[in-house]
Amino acid sequence: MRIEVHALSAKVHRVPLLQGISLHIERGELFGLVGPNGSGKSTLMRCLAGLRRPSAGRVLAEGTEVRKMPARDRARRIAFVEQQADTTDRLTVREAVELGRTPYLSPLRGWSEEDAAAVEAALSAVEMTAFAERLWHTLSGGERQRVHIARALAQDPELLMLDEPSNHLDIRHQLSLMALIRDLPITRVVALHDLNQAAACDRIGVMQGGRLVVVGTPADILDEALLAEVFGVAATRSVSEGGATHLHFSHAL
Amino acid sequence: MTMVAATPRLAARRRLWFAPVLLGVAILVGTAIGETRLPLMTVLQTLANKLWGAGYPVDRIDAGIIWSYRLPRAIVAACCGAGLALTGVVLQALLRNPLADPYLMGLSAGASTGAVLVTIAGVGGGAVSMSFGALGGALLAFACVILLAHAVSGGAGGGRANQAAAAIILAGIAGSQLFNALTAFTIARSANAEQARGIMFWLMGNLSGIRWEDVGACIFVSIGGVALCLWHRRGLDAFTFGADGAAALGINVQALRGSLITATAIMVGVLVSKVGAIGFVGLVVPHAMRFLVGTRHDRLVPASALAGAVFLVAADVISRIIVPGQVLPIGVVTALVGAPAFALILVRGARR
Ligand SMILES: Nc1ncnc2c1ncn2[C@@H]1O[C@H](COP(=O)(O)OP(=O)(O)O)[C@@H](O)[C@H]1O
Ligand SMILES: [Mg+2]
Repeated sequence: MRIEVHALSAKVHRVPLLQGISLHIERGELFGLVGPNGSGKSTLMRCLAGLRRPSAGRVLAEGTEVRKMPARDRARRIAFVEQQADTTDRLTVREAVELGRTPYLSPLRGWSEEDAAAVEAALSAVEMTAFAERLWHTLSGGERQRVHIARALAQDPELLMLDEPSNHLDIRHQLSLMALIRDLPITRVVALHDLNQAAACDRIGVMQGGRLVVVGTPADILDEALLAEVFGVAATRSVSEGGATHLHFSHAL
Repeated sequence: MTMVAATPRLAARRRLWFAPVLLGVAILVGTAIGETRLPLMTVLQTLANKLWGAGYPVDRIDAGIIWSYRLPRAIVAACCGAGLALTGVVLQALLRNPLADPYLMGLSAGASTGAVLVTIAGVGGGAVSMSFGALGGALLAFACVILLAHAVSGGAGGGRANQAAAAIILAGIAGSQLFNALTAFTIARSANAEQARGIMFWLMGNLSGIRWEDVGACIFVSIGGVALCLWHRRGLDAFTFGADGAAALGINVQALRGSLITATAIMVGVLVSKVGAIGFVGLVVPHAMRFLVGTRHDRLVPASALAGAVFLVAADVISRIIVPGQVLPIGVVTALVGAPAFALILVRGARR
C-alpha cells in the first residue's frame, strides 16, 4: 500500500506534537522510524493508522484519505500494533489473535475456515502455536508482544505498522521478528529503538522534536554526524562485506 | 486445527438450549415458593387453565395468587436480573473497568431521584408517570456522569483512554452521592411518614407491587438488550485491548459506545422504575460468568442474561422467606451476596 503524507501536523491542547511532516512510503517498502523518546514516532504512526485526527495536513493510502475510509475497510487494509496495549481479561492467546479477524466478520457472517486458517498461520509465524491455549495474564512481555503481532497478521493487511515491536523481546526473538518482518511482502512501517535493526530497513525516517529531520537509505543517512546531532551519542560506523551497516556506540555526548 | 477451534463453540451453542428450560424452571419455582407455599402441581395446573383452558380443578384463591401476583412478579424479576447483568457486561467491556456497574455509576441513583420527584414532589403535575420520571432521571444522571468524566479527563483519546475509564467511575461515585442526596432531600421535604417509608422500601428494590401491566415493558427491554448486545458481540470483544485497539480493528468506537451506553441507560431507567434500585447484579453476575464461559461476548451475553435472571428470581424468593412473616427489600439480599463479591473482585484486581 502506497502512503503519502502531506504537511501533517498534530497538536494536543495547542502544544504541537508533529509539525509539517511530508513523506512517501512505497508499496512493499520496509520503512523504519527512528528518533529519541518523545520525538513523535508513536503520534505519527497513530495518524498513519487513522486513529488520530491531524490538526493539519493529510494522510493518503493509495490516494484515499485514511480518516475518511470506512473503519471496517481501513482495518482490513491497515493493521497497527501499539507500543503498549494490555488487558485484564482472562482470554487465551488464540482468542486474542482471533480478534484480528473482527473486520472480516459481521453480526450475521460467522466464523469460517478461512478465518481459522488465517489465525493458525499468524500464530505459527510468530512461533506461538504451542501457546495457543495459554491465558493472556500468564504470558511474559515478549510473548504478549508476539501475540499482538500475530493479531495484526491475522488482519491480513496491506500495511502493517509496528510501534517498537522488539522492545520486550530477547535477542533471539528480536532477530527472528526482524527476519519475519523483512520477509513479509506488504508495506511495513516500524518504529525502532535499535539503530542496528533500523539499518536493515529499506529506508528510514529520523524524527526529532516532532519533525522528520531526514529520510533516506540507512547507508546514506546513518552516520556519525547524525547520531551525534539527533541521538546525542558518539558512534563509529562500519560496513561489513555484505554491505550491511553496523554502528558501535561509545558514549553519550 | 480447525476442529480444535470449532469444538468449544459448538458445545457452547448446544448448551444454550438449556437456557429457556432453566429459566422456565426458575420462574415456576419462584411462583410456587412464597409466604404460602403452593405445590408445583397447582402452579402447572393453574398455568394450563389460564393458557389453554385445561379446566383442572384449582382453588380460586390459589389460582389468583399464582396468576395475578406470583407469576408476573417472577417474570419481572427474571427480566430485571437479565437486564441488570447485561448492563454490567456492556459497561465493563466498553469502559475497560471491572467495577463498572449501573448502580455504582449513578444510573440507578438518578432513576430513583426521577421517580421520587414525580411521585412525591409532584414534578410534571401528574401528567408524567413514575416510569418516565425514573427514565429521565437515569438518562440525566448518565449525561452528568459522562460530562463530568469528560471534563476530568479532558476527552478520551490517545493512550489516555484508560485514564478516562477511571474518571468515569470516579464521576459515577460523585453522581451517585449527588442524586442520592437529592432523593433524600425530596423525601425529607415533601413526603409524609407513610410515603417516606414506602419510598425507602421501593428504593432498596421491591417487587411486591408488580402486576401484569408491568411485564410488557420489562420483557421488551430485556429481550431487546440481549438482541442488541448479541448483534454487537464482536464490537464488545474488540474492546479487549482498549478503545484504540477497537478502533484499529475497524470498530466505530464513538458510535458503538454512544448507542450501547444509551441503550443501557434506557434499560436501567425502565427496570428501576418498576422495581427500584437493585444493586450488585450488574457487578457480580458478569464476573462469575466470565469464569464459567470465558470473556467472549457470544457466550458471555446469553450466559450473563440467563444467570442474572435466575439469580434475581432466587433473590426474590429468598427475600420473601428468609424472615418469616416479613418481606425484605430484594436489594438487601443482592447486596448481602454482592458486597463480599465486590470485595473479592477488588482484592483479585489488586493482586494482578
Ligand atoms: N495526549 C498527549 N498529551 C500531551 N502530550 C502528549 C500526548 N501524546 C503524546 N504526547 C507527547 O508528545 C511527544 C511525542 O510522543 P510520542 O509520539 O509517543 O513519541 P515517541 O513514540 O517517539 O517516543 C512526547 O513528548 C509526549 O509526551
Ligand atoms: Mg512511542
